[in-house]
Amino acid sequence: MKQKNYKANLFATILFFTIPIVSFCQSDSTTTEKTEEEKPTLSLNVSYHANTNNSMYLLVDTKAKIDGKFTPIKAIKVNLYLDENTDSTIIGKFITDKNGQAKAILPISLQHKWKSKATHTFLAISEATKNFEETTTETIITKSKIEIDTTNDGETKTVTAKVLTFNGTNWVAKPEVELKIGIVRAGGGILSVGEEETFTTDETGVATATFNKDSLPGDAKGYLTLIAKIDQHDEIGNITQEKIIPWGKPSKIDNSFFDKRSLWSTRFRTPIWLLFMAYSIIIGVWGTIIYLIMQIIKIKKLGKINTNTF
Amino acid sequence: MEKLSSLTPEQITQDLLPKKFGKWGKIWTAILIAICLIGAYAYYRQIRYGLVVTNMRDYVSWGIYISNFVFFVAISLVGSLITAIFRLANIEWATPLTRIAEIIAVSAIVFASLIIIVDMGRPERFMYLFLYGRIQSPIMWDVIVIMTYFCISLLLLYMPLLPDLKILLKFKEKSGNALHKLYRFQGSFWQGTKAQFKISEKAITILCVAIIPVAFSIHTVTSWLFATTYRPGWDSTNFGAYFISGAFLVGAGGVVVAMYIFRKFYHLEKYITELHFDKMGKLLVMLSLLYLYFNINEFMTPAFKMKKSEAGHLNELFSGTYAPMFWFAIIGGLIVPIIGLLFKKGRKPLPMFVIAILVVVCAWFKRYLIVTPTLLHPFMPMQEVPASYHHYFPSWEEWAIAMGSLAGALLIITFFARIYPIIPIQETLTEKNEAEKL
Amino acid sequence: MENKDTSRRDFLLTGILATTAIVAGCSDKKNPFTPEDTVTPSGKKVKLLSVDGEIIEVDEAFLKPVPHVPPVSIDESRRGIAGKKFVMVIDLAKCKNLKKCQSACNHMHQVHSSQNWLKVYAMEDADHTAPYWQPTQCMHCDEPPCVKVCPVDATFKREDGIVLIDNERCIGCRFCMAACPYSSRVFNWEPSDYKPTGDEEKIYSPENSIPQKVGTVSKCDFCPDRHREGKLPYCVEACPNGVFYFGDINEDTVTNGSETFRFSELIKDKAGYKLMEDLGTKPSVYYLPPVNRSFPFENGLENENETDKKLIAK
Repeated sequence: MKQKNYKANLFATILFFTIPIVSFCQSDSTTTEKTEEEKPTLSLNVSYHANTNNSMYLLVDTKAKIDGKFTPIKAIKVNLYLDENTDSTIIGKFITDKNGQAKAILPISLQHKWKSKATHTFLAISEATKNFEETTTETIITKSKIEIDTTNDGETKTVTAKVLTFNGTNWVAKPEVELKIGIVRAGGGILSVGEEETFTTDETGVATATFNKDSLPGDAKGYLTLIAKIDQHDEIGNITQEKIIPWGKPSKIDNSFFDKRSLWSTRFRTPIWLLFMAYSIIIGVWGTIIYLIMQIIKIKKLGKINTNTF
Repeated sequence: MEKLSSLTPEQITQDLLPKKFGKWGKIWTAILIAICLIGAYAYYRQIRYGLVVTNMRDYVSWGIYISNFVFFVAISLVGSLITAIFRLANIEWATPLTRIAEIIAVSAIVFASLIIIVDMGRPERFMYLFLYGRIQSPIMWDVIVIMTYFCISLLLLYMPLLPDLKILLKFKEKSGNALHKLYRFQGSFWQGTKAQFKISEKAITILCVAIIPVAFSIHTVTSWLFATTYRPGWDSTNFGAYFISGAFLVGAGGVVVAMYIFRKFYHLEKYITELHFDKMGKLLVMLSLLYLYFNINEFMTPAFKMKKSEAGHLNELFSGTYAPMFWFAIIGGLIVPIIGLLFKKGRKPLPMFVIAILVVVCAWFKRYLIVTPTLLHPFMPMQEVPASYHHYFPSWEEWAIAMGSLAGALLIITFFARIYPIIPIQETLTEKNEAEKL
Repeated sequence: MENKDTSRRDFLLTGILATTAIVAGCSDKKNPFTPEDTVTPSGKKVKLLSVDGEIIEVDEAFLKPVPHVPPVSIDESRRGIAGKKFVMVIDLAKCKNLKKCQSACNHMHQVHSSQNWLKVYAMEDADHTAPYWQPTQCMHCDEPPCVKVCPVDATFKREDGIVLIDNERCIGCRFCMAACPYSSRVFNWEPSDYKPTGDEEKIYSPENSIPQKVGTVSKCDFCPDRHREGKLPYCVEACPNGVFYFGDINEDTVTNGSETFRFSELIKDKAGYKLMEDLGTKPSVYYLPPVNRSFPFENGLENENETDKKLIAK
């Protein structure tokens, strides 16, 4: 993913170089007064993502260094274009959310243009705001895909991932691509199928991994979701390919502890012995109290009878 | 009760009828009301600004509210001791003290429940205890037991009062219209017939039997609020017995203080005699020895081992920040009564009064020492908190509310003594008659 | 297109991103942790271009950059996420007291500035033993002493192992704080001094724990709202050294975002242990001992506040 930051005009370019100097000189007063010249630079990013079923999207990311750390910038208007900045090639206008992100998909009107080439440029232009200058960035990617294949000869299980890029007419093998081959896990973790953390494709575009995660819990039937993932590759972008394989151990989820009666359970699952003890004591003692109150009522009745007879 | 024999029943009745407040009575009541009002204002501030007005923080998350609660529960136990245990054991000299003990129990238990609500971060959710109550929690046990104890104590206060109400109803001019109406509402049905006496006596016996296990539970469960945790200083199997013995001691001390004050200001020298002080003095010695035994039990074994988790806590008590308070509570609350009351001279009313006050005050501080220092010795080191979290000294609001609750309890006792005879009239007369028969 | 792609469209309805061929075989397979799956399908369809230039239809929810899962109901948050049992592994060898975990957690949970759900302790077990930094939060015990003592079911254990607090139930008795041996609970003595930015979740749920409710107890919640979005807890994500590993023990996997390990192997290889196991609380947080450290202990001292520095000096 190639990214270049252009300044909107010469003035901005000069500013870009002067900002560090200015802010260095006035580091004490920056918080008190924000002048035009001290606008922080907006870091604008566009990344390309393609998933298993060939669906693809672009992720726009805006952040800026505020108080020394990168902070997502929300409500930035970003125009995205395919290859060139014209009205007919616009992908769309997007506004970043609170995480400083916007997700874009290619509208079907660009089908012809998208099909016409193997390599495309995504052009992003953010509109100037009160705090930030207009910023432009571009990302160039070549259409690519991963193919996963698995073999199991009874002794060793092997996973091969083949990375292919489009050259305009054919899909050709792509060597020297680093990728992860693993199993999808909670929280987005990818547990590598083999010893290595990552794998690299050879001259035939193939990366081979030996599956050593025997008896790894899968779903109820023992299925695992295999994933091959290329992350932030200069030409390819971010692409993933998933495949479901029956190599796992059927997971036995035992959450019976939750329904058992225990001292830490909810009030609906109080241990029987405790209920028995508590209620027998309560009934016994309060039975006595009620009996005694009835005795008072009896005394009261006796008193009334006597009053009447007197 | 030799002196009683020289008195006519009319004189006795006149002596024991509730009296209007004198000058000191008015001043005393005014002071108590003032303290209560300051406490109420402090509580208003706490409601408004939240528990942040207290000096409790994440480590000391229970402060003097809880130690005050434990104190109240402890002192309320005396109702069961003097009334129930003595009655069942046929200890007759204690008869004049039963009502004093019982009203101390009732007022203390009322304020024990109130102070626990004060301690809650969300008092408006109090009803959740009944809507969503979880029987696994020792707090629920405490709630149930306190309600039960309150009801039984109230009955034990009320049943023996019935014959006295009949006597009170005879003196309409003296009591005034409002009180007369109250007496009539509460006891007009009591005719004093044999049948009524029979039921009443049976009921009182049942009450006396029932109140003893309930009283033991109330304080044992209160001790479990602490002992069911892992904390050093609380994690003790001795805690129930330790709490109960301490409770009897402070309760008896409280009765002695009340005896002395009522005797002096209501001129009850003929009814609360030096004999009573002498007997109560001996009782205090016995209870002090018992409590001392459980104290030794409580501190000796962990101090011998000095486990890492316990060591910090014990050192703090024995020789650290809390040492002055600790040794004051031990010496003042245990050693002084044991030594002082061994001598006959020590068991005269005035020295008894002084020692009893010391017992009660030390007991209050003892409860503070049970709650707070432990919380300052958690398992994990105290780090990453503001410096103020490392210490605890109650804020003025906490003091005001705690003192206000103590004043409130005293106020209940004071008003009770204003409205009802603090020494049972009917029982005194009956005992006099029986004595004369012999 | 419409007709040709019926099967694909049905598949996309479920939100699973797998090839049509795979779907045909294993359409019941659900992985709740790919972000796309956690999005509730809106039912509305949008057309978009595929890599091949074909036109495909996806659910509108696909268009959101980050799947937003609205807070679940109180009942749901009392039950937990089905089929999960969460664990955390904390690698003490990698911690240098940067406290990024703490600040991220405090910020996202709007914790009062004088309190922390996650503390990094300077520990030294005994004389002549080496000091180390130990991040500690709620242990989400399987025998939680805090839950045992709660009188109103305000704090509860879920089937996914998480111990949560319902701040709308809590009466503020603080018994749980006394019961917790790990001192992990804090009480909201006053309203939080957190300054809202306007982007916060507005609806309270025991799972997101925000906003903090005065007069009630709160603590680390293991970020269940994040799991529902397929993300890791804030502390895990914030730690630049990868100290925290989080995962599902039913999957036997933990991840710190960049590295993913098989939980059982990690615990075996690095001799994992739990804190104060002798108390029988059965924590869900495991520690890896501070061996072969990435940083010397002293590097972390600069992040200590003055009070704690003095304490450590002692």
